This record gives sequence, C-alpha cells and structure tokens, in this order.
Amino acid sequence: MLKCTFCGRRAAYHRRYAGVLLCDRCLIKSVAKRFRRAIAEHQMISPRGRVALAVSGGKDSIALMHLLAEYCKQKNCELVAITIDEGIKGYRNRSVPMARENAESLGVEYVVVSFKLAFGATLDQMVKLAKLKKTGLNPCTYCGVMRRSLLNQAARELEADKLATAHNLDDEVQAIMLNYVRADLSRLHRLGPTYPPQKGFVPRIKPLREVLEKEVALYALLSGLKVHLGVCPYASGIHTEIRDFLNELETNHPNSKFMILRMFERLKPHIARVTPKFEMRRCELCGEQTSADICKSCELLKGLGLKRLQKTLISPKCS
Amino acid sequence: MTHIKVTVKQVGKKHQREIRLDPHTTIADLLRKLGSSRETVVVRRNEKIVAEEERLSDGDLIEILTIVTGG
Ligand SMILES: [Zn+2]
Ligand SMILES: [Zn+2]
Repeated sequence: MLKCTFCGRRAAYHRRYAGVLLCDRCLIKSVAKRFRRAIAEHQMISPRGRVALAVSGGKDSIALMHLLAEYCKQKNCELVAITIDEGIKGYRNRSVPMARENAESLGVEYVVVSFKLAFGATLDQMVKLAKLKKTGLNPCTYCGVMRRSLLNQAARELEADKLATAHNLDDEVQAIMLNYVRADLSRLHRLGPTYPPQKGFVPRIKPLREVLEKEVALYALLSGLKVHLGVCPYASGIHTEIRDFLNELETNHPNSKFMILRMFERLKPHIARVTPKFEMRRCELCGEQTSADICKSCELLKGLGLKRLQKTLISPKCS
Repeated sequence: MTHIKVTVKQVGKKHQREIRLDPHTTIADLLRKLGSSRETVVVRRNEKIVAEEERLSDGDLIEILTIVTGG
C-alpha cells in the first residue's frame, strides 16, 4: 500500500509531475485550492457578481458546479447553470438529466437551451445536412461555434457578468497545440484564463484551467459526484490525435502539459503585438457581435440551408 | 508463486477477463500492457481508487474507468 505524502492515509493518486502521492481527501483539497487560486489570481469573479456556468453533465462541468456553488455561497455571488442541448442522440439525452439533478441538489438556478429551438435543427440533423451538402466540415466545427454563440446569448439574457466554462489543463493545452498546427495566430491569442471584455460578449472564465483532466475526474469520483462519463459519438479527427499525442508525452515526460501552458503564457504578450485587431460589429442576420458581415454561426447555418430563429432563448420569469 | 492472476473489467462494458501477470507487476505496468493511457483512465483496485504504482496481488479485481469523453 502506498501512503499519502501529506497525511499518511492510503494514496489514491500519484501526482507524478510533482513527485507526491495524494489520498482522496488531500486530492480533493488540492483541486479546490487550485480552483480558488485561479479565481483570485485572475480576478475571475467580482464580489456580488452573477456567474453563468456552462454545464454539460460531464465530470468537468459537474465538478465545477459543485466548486462554484460553494464559492458563490461564501462570497455572496449568484450562480446560474446553462446546459446547451445540441441534440446528440445517445449522448446528450443521458447527460442533461445528470446536469439537472446536480443543479437541483445544490439549489442552483438551471436552464436548458436547445439547438432545435434556436436553429430549428439538432446537431444530428446538421451533421446529416452537412454530409448531403458536402460542406466538408466536421461535427465539432458546427457544435463548437454554435454552442459558444448560444452560451453567450443565454448568459447575456440571464444578466450574468461572467460565463464560466469547465475547460481543464488538457483542454487548454490541446487548444494551444491545435492552433499551432493550424497556424491560427488570432485564435491562439484569444486563449487564456479569462477572455478580454468586448461589447456584446459576456467575459469568459476558466477556473479549472490549471487542473489536469485526470485530477478533475478524480475530484468528481472521490467526492462521489454523479457525473456522465459517456463518449461523444462525434469525437474524432485531429482533436483526438492531438489529445493522444499529448497524453503519451505526459506519460513519458510528466509535467509536459504544464510546460506547454507556461511557454504559451510567456509568449502571449508577444503574440498580442503581432495579432491584427478586428473591429466588431453586429451580424447582419442575427445581431450578435462579429468581426465580419455575418457571424460564424450564421455562416455555418447558411451553408446548411438553415438560419437562426429570431427568439430570445430564455423566457422571462413571471414574478 | 511464478504468476498471479487478476480480473480486469472495463467499466461500462459487461465483458471481463482474467490476466496472468508476473508477481511484481504494478497497475501502471498493466495499463501499458493493455494499451491504455494512464492519463485517460481511473483505476479501482478491489473497489478502491489507488495510486497506479501499487503492485498487484493474486486475485485482485481491477476496474478501468475511461474518463476522457471528448466534447
Ligand atoms: Zn492525504
Ligand atoms: Zn449571426
């Protein structure tokens, strides 16, 4: 039996990059501490603020919901959880109930926004249309762009001053590497713990950005949280190749993921100087902010013969 | 003992199997043998999540939970 470096109980995890063993309690404490440190360091949440949280029902967002619920209670902030139901059969219909159940047990305000209502089609239907119309774009492109857009609109309608997402260290490093591979400087530059404030956008925060995916999972499992661990049926292509590559690197050379993140942070101020700045304006079709004539999600919808239905996403509460 | 036997189960799948291993095999060794990345799984040994440097014993039940969901 291996013992926790800090308290001597049985170890549940070997944190190889730091050369320490952690028991269940010490792992939970350590993850919570990193979460709080990230919030303090980057002033992610303002006193008495209203935070919207994107919740899929997976381990990362459920863990973040529990951490934020406790934090907001202590700091007198408001928390509202938003689930985007993309309409992925066999996947999202299992994770949405998980998100709702956790929100209810924590007493967190909870809303669901669906692709079907906002765009008149589920992601499954969009994927079929994309194949039919030979757009050559993969499901993650549609899903990512449109989910982001709906999250922003929903957070704005809910009058949140921050939008929290559960991106972990693995997600962040994968995004960095993906932008390297695609030589996308402006996207690379937009990555970070917070997103610079811009008109029409609810500023985004990533409080789990410095926690390894495996440690977030351990936090959720060791805390006994109810999470959905299904695999998205559309996960494929370059995203998964980069993920596998980074995992192999981390196994053979622990701390690689942190080092890639640190290097990016050192480069970031220099990237800012060479990245062109865009004027933002309103999308001609839907009115959301964009740097082009029409926004990315309207452009993708147009390619599928669909459009954004002019609707407020959140129906006003009767009081 | 020249060999130990452990039962390996992938969580979420019905199928489980018995694997014969050398006596000093760790969980990390087993994962490597199975082609599973330790960054993407959590392992329960006899119903407890433990560090992957623990050495396996004869008769252990090893449950492997995939945590990377992608998306
Ligand atoms: Zn401990
Ligand atoms: Zn638009």
